[in-house]
Amino acid sequence: MKLYETTIIFDPSLEEARVNEEMERVTGPIAQAGGEVIEVQRWGKRKLAYLIGKRRDGTYVHVKHKSPPTLVAEMDRRFRLNESVLRHLTVIAPKESPKEEPKAGEEGEKAAAATPAVGE
Amino acid sequence: MARDGESRSFRRKFCKLCFDKVERIDYKDDRRLTRFITDRGKIVPRRISGTCARHQSQITEAVKRARILALLPFTSEQYR
Repeated sequence: MKLYETTIIFDPSLEEARVNEEMERVTGPIAQAGGEVIEVQRWGKRKLAYLIGKRRDGTYVHVKHKSPPTLVAEMDRRFRLNESVLRHLTVIAPKESPKEEPKAGEEGEKAAAATPAVGE
Repeated sequence: MARDGESRSFRRKFCKLCFDKVERIDYKDDRRLTRFITDRGKIVPRRISGTCARHQSQITEAVKRARILALLPFTSEQYR
């Protein structure tokens, strides 16, 4: 099982409910195959950098998941057949770099530490 | 006054990404990537941007992925 990142661009004319429905069809099989959905990010409607099938916008959804490689191939096949999916891309997720996050934390702590000092 | 021949001031190029201590360039970060493509959508070569080999190869991969997801253009349409 590997950690993957899948980004799907849906047709912008799909309603919220339909997108949810489609997403269930993505996340459902992951859980069934013994995988795990780690995070689902909805970027919402975004302008495309170029036209895809005469469409200017797309509804972006980004999923982080742990899946067996065979499922990724199957997902790819299904996305191709699905006409409401304009584009999709699955990549192996990069190993988390712990460097960037503590940085933000440090700043937060500094700010927190500074405020009481000023109060005293 | 600058002497002849030295009037074109040389400035050593440096990798901006190393300077910012960027660990990994993400294909989803299209705002950062736009700095490394020309207005025609081409990837800026290392000799121009001065990026180091490590970061340049990361940029290349990220730009190509971002293009698939229509975050970045393959080509700028106005030139067609």
